[in-house]
Amino acid sequence: MDALLHDHLLTLVVFIPAAGAALLLLFPRSAEGAARNLALAVSILDLAVSLPLWTRFALTQEGFQFREKLAWVPQLGISYSVGIDGISLLLVLLTTVLTPVALLFSLTHVEKEVRGYSIAFLILETGMLGSLVALDLVLFYVFWEVMLVPMYFIIGIWGGPRRIYASMKFFLFTMAGSLLMFLAILFIAIRYHAATGLWSFALEDVTRLTFTGYTETLLFFAFALAFAIKVPVFPVHTWLPDAHTEAPTAGSIILAGVLLKLGVYGYLRFALPLFPDAALRYAWLVGLLGVIGVVYGALVAYAQHDMKRVVAYSSVSHLGLVVVGVGAFTTMSLSGAVLQMINHGLSTGALFLLVGVLYERRHTRELDAYGGIAAVVPVTTALFLIATLSSIGLPGLNGFVGEFTILLGTWLSPHRWWAMAAATGVVLSAIYMLTLVQRVFWNPFANEANRTLTDIRPSEFIAAATLVVLMVWIGVRPNDVLDRIRPAVETLQKSVAARQIAEAGR
Amino acid sequence: MNDSFVHFTHADLLSIAPEIALLVAGCLILLVEAFAPALRRWFATIALAGVAVSLYFLVNAPAGTTFGGRYDTSPLTVFVGLFLGAAAVLAILVSRPYLERAGEERGEFYALLLWGHLGVSLMTRGLDLILIFIGLETLSLAFYVLAGFFRRVAASSEAGLKYFLTGAFGSAFTLYGIALLFGASGGTKLEELVRPGLGGNPAVAFGLLFLLVGFGFKMSLAPFHAWAPDVYQGMPTPAVAYLSVAPKGAALLVLFRVFSAVFQDGLPDRFRAGLAALAILSMTLGNVVALAQRDAKRLLAYSGIAQMGYVTIALVVFGRDALAAALVYFCAYLVSNAGAFAAVSALYRDETKAHPVALLAGAGRRAPFAAAVFALCLFSLAGIPATAGFIGKFFLFKAALEKGFYALALIGVANSLVSIGYYLKVVYILYMRDPVETEAPPALALADRLALALCAAGILAIGIFPSTVWEVARHAAATLPFAGP
Repeated sequence: MDALLHDHLLTLVVFIPAAGAALLLLFPRSAEGAARNLALAVSILDLAVSLPLWTRFALTQEGFQFREKLAWVPQLGISYSVGIDGISLLLVLLTTVLTPVALLFSLTHVEKEVRGYSIAFLILETGMLGSLVALDLVLFYVFWEVMLVPMYFIIGIWGGPRRIYASMKFFLFTMAGSLLMFLAILFIAIRYHAATGLWSFALEDVTRLTFTGYTETLLFFAFALAFAIKVPVFPVHTWLPDAHTEAPTAGSIILAGVLLKLGVYGYLRFALPLFPDAALRYAWLVGLLGVIGVVYGALVAYAQHDMKRVVAYSSVSHLGLVVVGVGAFTTMSLSGAVLQMINHGLSTGALFLLVGVLYERRHTRELDAYGGIAAVVPVTTALFLIATLSSIGLPGLNGFVGEFTILLGTWLSPHRWWAMAAATGVVLSAIYMLTLVQRVFWNPFANEANRTLTDIRPSEFIAAATLVVLMVWIGVRPNDVLDRIRPAVETLQKSVAARQIAEAGR
Repeated sequence: MNDSFVHFTHADLLSIAPEIALLVAGCLILLVEAFAPALRRWFATIALAGVAVSLYFLVNAPAGTTFGGRYDTSPLTVFVGLFLGAAAVLAILVSRPYLERAGEERGEFYALLLWGHLGVSLMTRGLDLILIFIGLETLSLAFYVLAGFFRRVAASSEAGLKYFLTGAFGSAFTLYGIALLFGASGGTKLEELVRPGLGGNPAVAFGLLFLLVGFGFKMSLAPFHAWAPDVYQGMPTPAVAYLSVAPKGAALLVLFRVFSAVFQDGLPDRFRAGLAALAILSMTLGNVVALAQRDAKRLLAYSGIAQMGYVTIALVVFGRDALAAALVYFCAYLVSNAGAFAAVSALYRDETKAHPVALLAGAGRRAPFAAAVFALCLFSLAGIPATAGFIGKFFLFKAALEKGFYALALIGVANSLVSIGYYLKVVYILYMRDPVETEAPPALALADRLALALCAAGILAIGIFPSTVWEVARHAAATLPFAGP
């Protein structure tokens, strides 16, 4: 039994939420409380099932673990092929942690169409987990696109006033990127067939292909665009502030926490190993866009009046830093980038959650509507402050480790000036985030309505506290996480180097 | 010519038994209506039984050609026959509650549907241009009448007249094309078109061009598409569910057959360019105009025009693999499009009025099942993964890229992006807009429910487990007669 579980652990983790969604379909629409609790229970069960991934993950083993491979469309060599390395392990766990957190918050704050909401969330979780473990290009693409549909509904049905515009923009932007990737995937498999006479979409097979410079560049950009839109990298980031502002709180938590990471993840997992030459040739572009994102996101964040928009633009800035780390391509900068993805998921998830807590009580997110509420809602304030400090990289919390590793790794790469430029983002983030905290929690009382604010509820507290605990843990013991990331990053670098030697020899 | 039609052999009769079954079932319905009108509730059942018997004969017919090489029974015709049969079954299922709501439970509806189906079946099995033409006309006559089925409704009569006038025009082109091919080759059988050098003959070129116009008309391929939105709007929705799928598939198959017979060594460049232009025009025009539609049936009509543009890519790519891709595409299109029309049929209360999309506001809450299947169909038409539509596009674009048609594939995906604009608009209205109608839509009849469930199951089955349908389609396409290597 245990061996069976072990062999199919990833499949279980990926499909438990989908099974929960199917179960929910059998519920009557009126059974809202039951739907709520079942969805939460399913996501917690999934978290529990995913924990053995962490404990059983072999630190020293190279390559993918928990592999499963089944033929799916055997005629074309499309397979249900899944497996994780250190990078996907952490993102999988981030997903299984953030989904119950988001659902826990939704317990008290979603009133309409609860059953549909729960179904959408669970399908979304399966989509995210599936894209994180897929090692077959078609399988990845299917999960990648399937995610769009529930997120579209979550923003469109349960979102704010401009939800229709935001959900449509989100869908069209993401789709625009991925359609080119779809053609590129087909093209790669056709090339593989031409070269070997066999059909395969499996990553381990198609990475053995080499392309001529021009073709490789085109394919690289087809993939990179899809991922850049998801991250989002400047200048294709414009869907993000709208989507975040309009999405319900739980949607924002997942969007910022996991969905954006999938862009970087896809780049690391697919674009880099498939097109190493082009990726390194255009590393300057990746780094440049990352740096622009860092500075631009930070400046725009400073100019916002809406708390959620501040956090949304801070995401553009923080993910810019992650992109810089990816572009620099040293072991350290890459490890830092992966770690920072996790950090950003935790801190931004917590920030969105706490903004949601305030919003549910005052029904406004305007900075000016608040002020001086630290004494009224001390627990919320404390949690918000910790999340903020984590977000701006205070030593002792997780954000510091990530930012420092990225910047140091980038400094050690040939692109020193990126590190210098990106470091301004760290300073700027302190300015706009602390300003936010000051204006919301400390400034003098601006509005009498704030006197009667109620503090955080137990369910909200548990959700936020979970994230805070993880922030502290990573801040104090970063090597628990970095030890799992490093081998994966080194393998990635090795494979890229090997491919380059192969291409140089050709 | 000694293989006269007069001497039927046993094999001939066996091969045509599927069509005879449809004919008999149609006649039976009319007789029942005349002599036992109280049994009108059984019309749909008789029609379904007719289709079932027809499929039974089709599956069991011995493979080979009959009627002196004019009639084909092969894995290809069986595959297409099952596809057409599925379309007929879905249309009949939806018809019963639809006609009941409209208070027009007349037997001729089913009889005409069955006979139209018979015509389509002849088109797909005929290996003789005259036989194909007879099939085309049988289909057309039946559906001219069906388009004007609601005699007292102006829109329906308008649809009937429009379809008849433009359809007659299209048929004339087809016939003229057949005449030119006959003049150049000396025969009407497809095998007589297989002759080296025939493709270079200008008469043949014009003949094929006219055939392309005639069948392009049936496929509602731009620029021969103008009839579709008007006709769909006035025609009873279940009939549209059939007309928008089955004859289009048959027309594409006929084009594949004729072109493969004439061009043994592959499509010449000028035809390739012309077909590619048709494909691009159809996709782009269909998708862009659909963005502006406010009527559900017109929107689906333009979506269908665009879909036919995509599938014409298969004809440009040419060859048996491309045909297999087109077959898969049509299977996906069948479940998605027929499902969408079934949902439209179930979601509107007044059958004789227009079908503005805005009326569907809030349907997600008022009629959750129909709305959910409708949304699924729209996502499938848009080609979102894990649905049948994605699989259709997957194989189609794969075939195009394999033969180096990069530009066509790029234009195809760019069009998919445009199409998401209007498919999502309908989803948005279904789920995110507050209802304008307070009255609940009609309770979903069992037959509607069944048809919708079948379509949803088909969309997910093809979308998640595509290997079976691809294998069968490839096997079927391999038996395309007269095609070159």
